[in-house]
Amino acid sequence: MKLNLGNQGNSVELRRPSSLADADGGLALAGGTEVIPLLRSGILRADTLVDVRGVIPRGISGTEIGGGATLAELEVDPQIPDVLREACRLAASPQLRNMGTLAGNLLQSTRCWYWRLKWPCRLHGGDECFAHDGEHREHAIFANDFCASAHPSDVAAALLALDATVKTTSRTFPIGELYRVPTEDDRNITTLGEGELILSVEVPECDASIYLKAMDRKRWSFPIVGVAAVRRGSDTRVALAGVAPVPWLHDGGDPTPLPRNAYKVEILDALVRRATAAL
Amino acid sequence: MVELVVNGGRYELDAPVGTSLAEALRERIGLTGTKLACGEGHCGACTVLVDGKPALSCITLAHRLDGREVTTIEGLRDHPMVAAFVRADALQCGFCTPGQIVSAVALVEASPEPGADEIRHRMAGNICRCGTYPKIEEAIRTWQG
Amino acid sequence: MARLIRTEKEIEGRYEEVWIVVEEDALDQWPAGPLEIVGKPAPRMDGYERARGEAVYTADLELPGMLHTAVLRSPHPHARVRSIDLSKALAAPGVHAAIGPNDIPQLVDECCYQGHAVAAVCADTYATARAALSLIEIDWDVREPLLDPNEAVARRSFLSDPRVRERGDADKGLAAADVIVEGEFRTQVVLHNSMETHQAVVQWFGDGIDVYISTQAIWAVRDRVAEQLGVAADKVRVVCNYMGGGFGSKNGPDDYTFIAAELAKRTGRPVKCALTRREENLAVGNRNATIQRLTVGAKSDGTLTALLGEYVNAVGWGGWMAPTDGPMHSLYACANVRSTLYGAKLNLPPMKAFRAPGFVEGTFGLESLLDELAAKLGIDPLELRRINHADHDAEDDRPFSSKNLLECYRRAEPHWERRHEVRARSTETVKRGVGMASQVWYGGGGPPSYAWVRVGSDGRANVVTAMQDIGTGTRTAMAMIAAEELGIPLDHVTVSLGDSSRGPHATMSAGSSTTPSVGPAVRAAAADARRQIEEIAEQRGTPDAPLAEVVALLEDAQILGTGARGPNPTGMQVLTFGVQVAEVAVDIETGEIWVERVAAIHDVGRVINPLGARSQIEGGIIQGIGHTLSEERLHDPKTGTILTTTLDAYRLPTIADVPEIVSELVDEPDTHLTNLGSKGLGEPPIVPTAAAIANAIRDATGADVRSLPISREEMLRALREAESRKSGEQRGAPAAV
Repeated sequence: MKLNLGNQGNSVELRRPSSLADADGGLALAGGTEVIPLLRSGILRADTLVDVRGVIPRGISGTEIGGGATLAELEVDPQIPDVLREACRLAASPQLRNMGTLAGNLLQSTRCWYWRLKWPCRLHGGDECFAHDGEHREHAIFANDFCASAHPSDVAAALLALDATVKTTSRTFPIGELYRVPTEDDRNITTLGEGELILSVEVPECDASIYLKAMDRKRWSFPIVGVAAVRRGSDTRVALAGVAPVPWLHDGGDPTPLPRNAYKVEILDALVRRATAAL
Repeated sequence: MVELVVNGGRYELDAPVGTSLAEALRERIGLTGTKLACGEGHCGACTVLVDGKPALSCITLAHRLDGREVTTIEGLRDHPMVAAFVRADALQCGFCTPGQIVSAVALVEASPEPGADEIRHRMAGNICRCGTYPKIEEAIRTWQG
Repeated sequence: MARLIRTEKEIEGRYEEVWIVVEEDALDQWPAGPLEIVGKPAPRMDGYERARGEAVYTADLELPGMLHTAVLRSPHPHARVRSIDLSKALAAPGVHAAIGPNDIPQLVDECCYQGHAVAAVCADTYATARAALSLIEIDWDVREPLLDPNEAVARRSFLSDPRVRERGDADKGLAAADVIVEGEFRTQVVLHNSMETHQAVVQWFGDGIDVYISTQAIWAVRDRVAEQLGVAADKVRVVCNYMGGGFGSKNGPDDYTFIAAELAKRTGRPVKCALTRREENLAVGNRNATIQRLTVGAKSDGTLTALLGEYVNAVGWGGWMAPTDGPMHSLYACANVRSTLYGAKLNLPPMKAFRAPGFVEGTFGLESLLDELAAKLGIDPLELRRINHADHDAEDDRPFSSKNLLECYRRAEPHWERRHEVRARSTETVKRGVGMASQVWYGGGGPPSYAWVRVGSDGRANVVTAMQDIGTGTRTAMAMIAAEELGIPLDHVTVSLGDSSRGPHATMSAGSSTTPSVGPAVRAAAADARRQIEEIAEQRGTPDAPLAEVVALLEDAQILGTGARGPNPTGMQVLTFGVQVAEVAVDIETGEIWVERVAAIHDVGRVINPLGARSQIEGGIIQGIGHTLSEERLHDPKTGTILTTTLDAYRLPTIADVPEIVSELVDEPDTHLTNLGSKGLGEPPIVPTAAAIANAIRDATGADVRSLPISREEMLRALREAESRKSGEQRGAPAAV
């Protein structure tokens, strides 16, 4: 079993810029835990890879967390809110948390098997969502009409509940604006522009927070439902992982489950009840 | 060209960009103790230490490791964790075992007397299909002999 | 003395009548209980080389000039190759050979499951070979796949004729019942996922061939390679010193071995053909899905009057009909049993044996049904099983060679008693309960298997037998047996195995048969050597001298002992038995399940190595937990394309999923079985786990889980069903008064 990049045969260039100014012009590589497998399976293609690990901030100063901080660093950091620490702790596997970065985690792709197996689905630019009439037990229960993929990031749900602010190489904006539900006209699930890199995340303080995650194994599983809840004063903000094509702000809208994933609604209701009660 | 520091030794390899660390170790340097079982970062059989932390060599590009220390099972052969695994019978077919030991060594280096919850949390990325997990837990609890 | 006998040969529940030459087993069994070495825990003797990464698996083998292979497999579950052009792939730089449909029988143009091999390319590197696959031009005629097992039965798409088994009169038995319980149970497709994928390295030497292969059965590989390639069997050398797991999936050469052999022939170079994880989860077998429609009838005192089963094994395109009906016929004394077993042939990847094939699935159905019956009768589930204990093999009216299931039940009592305390720890949302299930399975092994023992002047012994240690620790068990018989320390014994040219025939490592088959041969060989050494001592006039002193005279001379596995006891049924008691917690709002504790008590005759035996029990239970809770191969319902070929989507248990496991072995030698009295333990521990967990869930929640895996979806569905049944009963209550 030898492993090469998907575009084997062409030569791939790996650039290791020493400043952000030189970081443009290729596919950014941080932890590589998502990009490398996707390159190998031919879902991503690149002639130039840009190793951005040296140029993306990775420290924590006050409430600002560098995009290059690894999940392993964050899962033990006492300064960050509980919801974020727990989301990092319950994400992926220990090795992946050692390798994967905060920014990379926010930009990970869906685990939809049709998408990962390169079926010509809507997210790949095709004209069908195969999950709708196919195997969709792990798929979206919100905003799933066009594409039923589920966004797997625990960390994104935590940051969305925290109403964090994202700073990129070109702008600063609320994390909710990082994501967009894919549509006929635009199949992207993020609003990042060409060459735009996430530099850091500003996490405002809160009074209490919690992350609850339902998964198929006790560890090392993507969320069936992840519930992030944050309380400031009497306001509680809840965001969800694994239930929509993007991290989902739970604003009371009714879910629209598919025939085989209505069970997710039951889990969601229970976890939201528990999370808000715990705050 | 790529320069790797593995178990304290320096290696210069002429390998194309895209070569994984696992491939470099196994096929270029001849260190076959690091196993490949899934090749996609899902199972942990290929675990090595990069700067002391467990990483998946199958999805790590060799060219990104300039200046970083790689430790493989071959560099840990005399670590007491190896004897602890054998003593506790924490291996059956043994194919995942080098990766398990690499993860276990990193765990006890950071936390010499880990509790059961910590062991289960830190070792969850190393799949063992034979199901030696109870014995792995025992080996890690008793690694100091 | 060799003797020709006609006997039944059993492997994993498949019986055939064969003529075999056996040698009588002249040795008396050792006394019961731990001896000097046998019966005491010993760490595995190849532990260090495996743990240190020194052991060379087939995956690690790199021969000079070796080429690498990539296989083009059908992406379609049912399709015909209209045309195929290999020329561009063959012309690519670094490519040495390419073969296509009908170049060998394993490459086909009528593809009947996704993963069916069509063509193969070998090149300097795997990456080059794989890149060349995309240069193969192929025109597919895609056809409608048959995917639904019930539809297959209706259309009579069978792998082989349906099998009806009956004893007594099941209809009369049912008519005589006071209580009848029915249920439909389903089990999913489970993938073996051995950590080392299937692979072989093949090299020709003149008209002979070396096959290095990750296998459970070097002799089966040898014979099938010899047969297909027309090579004399002894010119096929099959080597497997270490292998990274098999669980039933590596009992033969498969397509990759023949692909490598053909490419090696064409190129004159050694060729490796190694499957990727994704190919592994398509093309090399699975535990097939089942549908089980079961009925049990009983008297109000708990006596079973009838058991009926209609079983559908969704076998896929090939394989065989595993005995899903087996537990129904062998576990209980019920006089009236009738089952029909269908093997539905589908456009899905072929099944293979997987650790107690059939019995794992069948035990889930039967033992779940028994608990539903116990609830209806108001009889304690453990008591119900005792009431129906089979004192002899009711199917064939034969005595068991040994059976200590009642003793297992007795030892299970303290674990079973915990249920009151466990239930009491339930909360508003987390319900706890305890369940149990019994285990029956084969595991007696049988002839032929042989061993040689060589003792040198240094007082050390080398055991030579061409078996394989698939990770179960049988290498260590053989050394322990030889050391015990010779009366020398364990570290004075080495074992040479895994090479068909360097030792005598030994059984395949399947059907829990290695220790009970090869162990007696090793003991016989050691006894033969010891007898010779004693004769020398006698001639020296020092009949009581220790072995080391006697052989010290030998210089370069050696004592060679040979041994053979004797026959199984005539007219007796040889089976293994056991019971497991599981404790679970269920979050009734989220469907989360924790298996908190499993107690396992098994009866497999004499235990050779208690340490390795405990590892087998734990491993079986953990695989059983994956089977019960998280593992499931899924396919797209329209196209039949497999969706879970990677280990993120196919969820094997991790260390975090493991409960407390308490294991116990009855350790009573089977006095009728060989010179050892040992049976196998590889498979028994996985047999009752799913049923014990399902029964514990029922105990905790009142919900009938009848489908594996018990995912959140299934758990919540069962809870809803139980809830509506309860409210229905409450509504119905006044009318019934």
